[in-house]
Amino acid sequence: MRLAVIAMFCLASLTKAQDVTFFESKVLPVLKKRCFECHSHEQKIKGGLALDSKSGWEKGGESGPSIAPGRPEASLLIQAISHVEKDLKMPPKKMLPLAEIELLTEWVRQGAPDPRVGTKTTELAVDDAWEVEFQKRLDWWSLKPMRRSTSGSVDGFINASQMAAGLQMAPPASPEVLRRRLSFVLTGLPPLDMSDPSDYVETLLNSPHFGEHFARHWMDVVRYTDTYGYEWDNPAKGSHEYRDYLIRAFNDDIGFDQLLREHLAGDLLPKQRIHTKAQTNESLIGPMFYHMGEHRHGSSLMFNGIHQEMVNNKIDAFSKAFLATTVACARCHDHKLEAVSQHDYYALAAMFTTPRWTTRVIDAPGKNDVAIARLKELREAIRQDLATLWARPFESSKLQTWATAHTDALKGIGAPLATPADLPKLAATWQKSREAAQKTNLAFKPASLEKWVIEGDGFKHGETDDGTPLIALEGESVVARLLPSGWHSHALSPKLPGSLRMPPQHVVSGKFVSLNLAGGEFGGHLVVDDHAFQNETVAFYTNAEPQWKSFADAELKNGAQQVTVEFCTAALNPNFPPRTGLAKGLKNNDFGHDKRSWLSITGIVTHDAGGTPQDELDVFTGLYQTNAANDPWERIATWINAAVRHWCEQKAQSGDREVLDWLLANALLPNKAEPGSKLDQLVTEYRRVESTIAFPRTVNSMDEREVMPAKYPLNVRGNVDTTGELVAPASLKMLAGDRITSRLDLAESLLHPEHPLTARVYVNRVWQWIFGTGLVATPDDFGRLGDKPSHPELLDWLAREFIREGWSTKKLVRRLVMSQTFRQSSVVTDAARERDPANRLLHHYPTRRLEAEAIRDSLLVVSGRLDPQLYGRPILPYRTAEDDKKRLFTGPLDGHDRRSIYLQMSIMDPPKFLVGFNLPDLKLPTGRRDVTNVPSQALILLNDPFVNAMAKHWAGELMKQDDTNEETRLRDMFERTLGREPHASEVKRWLSALDDFGGDTPVAWERLAHAFFNAKEFIYYR
Amino acid sequence: MNRPQLCSRRHFLHANGFGLGTVALASLLERDGLLAAPVKPESFGEIRYDLTPKKPHFEPRAKAMISLFMMGGPSQMDLFDPKPMLTKYDGQKFPGEIKYDNLAQASAKCFGSPWKFEKQGQCGMEISELLPNLSKVVDEITLIRSMTSGVSNHAQGLYAMNGGRITAGRPALGSWLTYGLGSETDELPAYMVLSHPGGLPTFQGEHFTNGWLPALFQGTLVRPTEPRILNLDPPASLAGAPQERQLALLKAFNEDHLSQHRGELDLQARISSYELAAKMQTAAKEALDISKEPDHVKKLYGVDNPITKDYATRCIIARRLVERGVRYVQVLNAGQSWDQHGSLITALPKNCEATDQPSAALISDLKQRGLLDTTIVHWGGEMGRLPVLQNDAGREKWGRDHNTYGFSMWVAGGGFKKGYVHGETDEFGHKAVIDEVKHFDYHATLLKLFGLDHSKLTYKRNGLAASLTDNQGAKVVDQLIA
Repeated sequence: MRLAVIAMFCLASLTKAQDVTFFESKVLPVLKKRCFECHSHEQKIKGGLALDSKSGWEKGGESGPSIAPGRPEASLLIQAISHVEKDLKMPPKKMLPLAEIELLTEWVRQGAPDPRVGTKTTELAVDDAWEVEFQKRLDWWSLKPMRRSTSGSVDGFINASQMAAGLQMAPPASPEVLRRRLSFVLTGLPPLDMSDPSDYVETLLNSPHFGEHFARHWMDVVRYTDTYGYEWDNPAKGSHEYRDYLIRAFNDDIGFDQLLREHLAGDLLPKQRIHTKAQTNESLIGPMFYHMGEHRHGSSLMFNGIHQEMVNNKIDAFSKAFLATTVACARCHDHKLEAVSQHDYYALAAMFTTPRWTTRVIDAPGKNDVAIARLKELREAIRQDLATLWARPFESSKLQTWATAHTDALKGIGAPLATPADLPKLAATWQKSREAAQKTNLAFKPASLEKWVIEGDGFKHGETDDGTPLIALEGESVVARLLPSGWHSHALSPKLPGSLRMPPQHVVSGKFVSLNLAGGEFGGHLVVDDHAFQNETVAFYTNAEPQWKSFADAELKNGAQQVTVEFCTAALNPNFPPRTGLAKGLKNNDFGHDKRSWLSITGIVTHDAGGTPQDELDVFTGLYQTNAANDPWERIATWINAAVRHWCEQKAQSGDREVLDWLLANALLPNKAEPGSKLDQLVTEYRRVESTIAFPRTVNSMDEREVMPAKYPLNVRGNVDTTGELVAPASLKMLAGDRITSRLDLAESLLHPEHPLTARVYVNRVWQWIFGTGLVATPDDFGRLGDKPSHPELLDWLAREFIREGWSTKKLVRRLVMSQTFRQSSVVTDAARERDPANRLLHHYPTRRLEAEAIRDSLLVVSGRLDPQLYGRPILPYRTAEDDKKRLFTGPLDGHDRRSIYLQMSIMDPPKFLVGFNLPDLKLPTGRRDVTNVPSQALILLNDPFVNAMAKHWAGELMKQDDTNEETRLRDMFERTLGREPHASEVKRWLSALDDFGGDTPVAWERLAHAFFNAKEFIYYR
Repeated sequence: MNRPQLCSRRHFLHANGFGLGTVALASLLERDGLLAAPVKPESFGEIRYDLTPKKPHFEPRAKAMISLFMMGGPSQMDLFDPKPMLTKYDGQKFPGEIKYDNLAQASAKCFGSPWKFEKQGQCGMEISELLPNLSKVVDEITLIRSMTSGVSNHAQGLYAMNGGRITAGRPALGSWLTYGLGSETDELPAYMVLSHPGGLPTFQGEHFTNGWLPALFQGTLVRPTEPRILNLDPPASLAGAPQERQLALLKAFNEDHLSQHRGELDLQARISSYELAAKMQTAAKEALDISKEPDHVKKLYGVDNPITKDYATRCIIARRLVERGVRYVQVLNAGQSWDQHGSLITALPKNCEATDQPSAALISDLKQRGLLDTTIVHWGGEMGRLPVLQNDAGREKWGRDHNTYGFSMWVAGGGFKKGYVHGETDEFGHKAVIDEVKHFDYHATLLKLFGLDHSKLTYKRNGLAASLTDNQGAKVVDQLIA
């Protein structure tokens, strides 16, 4: 056998003779003796590592290449045999003799000369180790094709399984029980209408509360959060837009296929889905799915692990939500149980880090187009009117008189007016400065903006010629100023958002890129160190005049692949508001909405040395570079008049605008509209139109424009400090996803009608939402640690029907709730309890505790307080203590009477009432909530001020009905809280309790109401 | 004792719990076997968890523990670990490589401690002048100068020290202890956490999370001011007779319901939960009220001094809870107040002033009462600090960055050695070099004192037996044990 192994080697002529001798006589015997037992093709290939060929150690095993030639300290093999790391000791039991360790170390130090050349078959065999295991693992129920049933029905499959076990369904539930069940299952609210319409299911499916309730289910799956957790709990920009998008989608019954496409690749869809009523681009909201859950603040370059944790969060959510597969386990090594390799994990990482993780405008495209076109027209009309008004030349004598009276204005552009006699001398100085500046500026190259990306109407419509008037939006002035040429997000309205996204620094030519920038109201920039968009390198500008800012290429380290900068107004800054204290002037309780934020960019250059471009003083060209008029005041007048004339004739030259701006600032040009004048009308109209523009709606999403596909460094053993090969984008190999390189293809691959997981996983979730437990009881794990399906044929049949019916959630839900399986009562026979205690065969409908939200919402409904308004920004939960540095402020006790879905889901401090009733951990995808029955819940319902306030309010409402008697009132209370008529004995008991509480008084009714809230039946349905 | 190996799917309360007072009562119910009833009819046969006292694997030395947790990373070279070489190099370049956290303000300049150390007690343990009260009780404590956990950041440090690994989401030490040993009281929660008036430490509920252990083992948060446990008291209008009448009505009503719906097995538990709420209302109020403590005790802790008043009060409450059978009490600071990246010279003494006297008093008081032999007291944070200075912007702004490669903490009572110093860091105090104690070694040792074998105290999760020390190769440090 040994001979056969050796026979595979042939000596490479390139290896020096003495090296060959050294290797063959010293190194190879040690390898054979000590390592081949576990790391050779003849015996075993543990951890994927084979040492019987050069390519074997070059490729390495699961932990990556095992030898770095010349660098023993960086070689895993040397680390392993030195027993320095606890979890990497080779041989595992007994350390090698020191002499052998030194020998191998020396060999590596010499560059690991190895004359063996592995044959093709050897290399294939190394891969085979995982390949064989991989093939074995593909043999798993959830990866196999869905069965095809020619016909079927929910009840058919369920009945068959029961029959096989000698069981049968419980008798049908009574109408009142069914009504309460349907209402909670479909809307999460108690039945509002006590009448029992024949098409009750349709009524509920068409209720807007259906969308709220199902959106909340899905929000658990995608770890919905309104904040980003960690030490500062920053707001997650636009989270509520994503929540509202879900509500609309479930209410409009948007196909799950479309939702999946939008979640994974909404930004890439060729046809964006526009919601005409909400005036939103729904497709662009979808990818906010990626940016839910915990996101760590700070810079990847300063502290390793930040973007890697963000990536992990996204891979975990993606794979659990859509595939019920735990891919995140493969961060450190090939999955221990599933057909998921470490390579798969990093391929997904590459796919998800290809786009920028940043903010997108979700307003329907063209939403502001009419207003914007009108504003442009009006601005032009105003400009023309001003041109007429300003066309009169200044007389030199008048200028002289003015200068005498305004000596304090004579600086900067006005300086020549202070010492007119010195003009020739000044001209020489100007010429010198100008030449110096021109010389300096040779070093600065205008940046090629090919790969730069803009977002938002502010910049899209903000490119201006030199001297474009910025119309004043309030006050007496017509024009606030004249804008230099460049991009100005506020050129038409400061409500328009704008972002300019730089390509990665290493792509931009030159060692530096400099921009001439101005801004205000939290317009500024964010440096993004490899996607870590909660980076604290965020700056907000307060300068009205542009100033140059330079950005030097950063040293890439900590596994970071790129550094970019985004120049953005507040609404488009993915880290605005940043952690408290970072945005000067922003109050801690200001969540950063609706800012008249603006940004100007008037120059972009690249260069290799430090410094910034100098002003070439064009403004004085007309004054100094002329021979006309010897009289200095004539010369000054000519200079000024030429500038104004140029502007009026729309032939402004460089420098003219500055002259006009100076004239404007010093009230030398008329800037007020006569009341009733045409100009006045134009300005009034401009301001009116501007006021009709709504603040932009934005979410943290994806932007894949002008980016290169990423390659993501594999982290050896998951260690962020040990980066291995660069992995290109791909989907999971077990889903034949090697060739899939884009998110759009990824989405489409999951939607293939024969995909074994997508439809099964979703259908199973919906089943669980309807019946309490999924056909697979572990909705986020269809793998080896998950449960197996109780009714595999039913699951497959439902999945195929679901696809056939256009991935419609409502059709699926209707099918389920119309089944007899759903409509049976919760009566359990002893036989059923004996044979199937877990009710996996659905021999009765389970008694279910209300979800946290439904308990709170029921309190609002029953006491007549619920405000059924849909959508909106998160409402702060009621808190007993505040922490303003973390923005943990208290909200109203009653949450403004809104449904619980609208309460702010802060990772750091979620609504306590809901947490008490098993709101899941917001950081992690949770397909199935825990249901506990602990006494703290009794304490909440007994003593919590919100519950007591609702009891009091309800009692007050009851007292208003003075045309009724105690018994009728009591019966009404039973209906409202428990959805049923009381028995005679109950009427007697509760009326006697009312007497105990003090008879027909507000206080007694309040006690009674409060007792209803504490009845077990109130927080359950059957 | 092996815990039952079945995994309950439904008895979990949420990790953050209702936070305040929630799980408190869960423990009471479990004691009486009431909560054990499954939540839903179909969940028959599921495993029951309770808080009845459990027999440990072997004879325990300790019965209870009070952890004085100092979030932020107290500076070991200014408090516990004198470094003459660092003083000698003060202001000079650090001769070696430093593992920084915050590179932005990093400097390589040595920062010798501005405070003096002197030998104290019979044992001659060297302690900083910032801790004059601890100095008087050094003969009772074990000082570990060679702690390590591995990742120099708060989150990972906390997860390591509190949860056994640097990753999030794992159960806290207190949860493991109550899971393994149950409770000695049937009127109070088994695991209680006393928070600071300035708020919770940085990671909020994660400091006392049950992770994936059943919610029963979650820490019950006691607020720094009244009401110390939320929702414990009814609103004034309901207190007393009105609430009793309400409960009577509910009991009768629910019992009726039970008779008609025999399948709903959780109902009995639900009925009883309301009765047990009342029991706790009395017991918890009594335990949390220190007004009847004698003056000399209050004075010993420093209740009479505004600077120490809060911490003294909470240390006394911690002692009262342990006296009443609570298994594990953790006293927390606010935010990460020991995190002196800057202004160390003014901020560190303030932290010490507020905590030194009460912490030392706790040892003396427990000893006087004969409780120290069976009660472990722990004082320490999630990490220590670097020997080099951070924020080189003038002496008053100097600070130190994070360091998990070698830091100090002390333990006392419950079988730990007395007057003993364990381990050493290098001459500058950056890394542990002699007798390193990794966080999981410390945990293994603690569990041993409680009579538990760390490798056997397991909980079945995802098909694997999960433990506090989690197969990291933890070893009991026998040298720490008397």
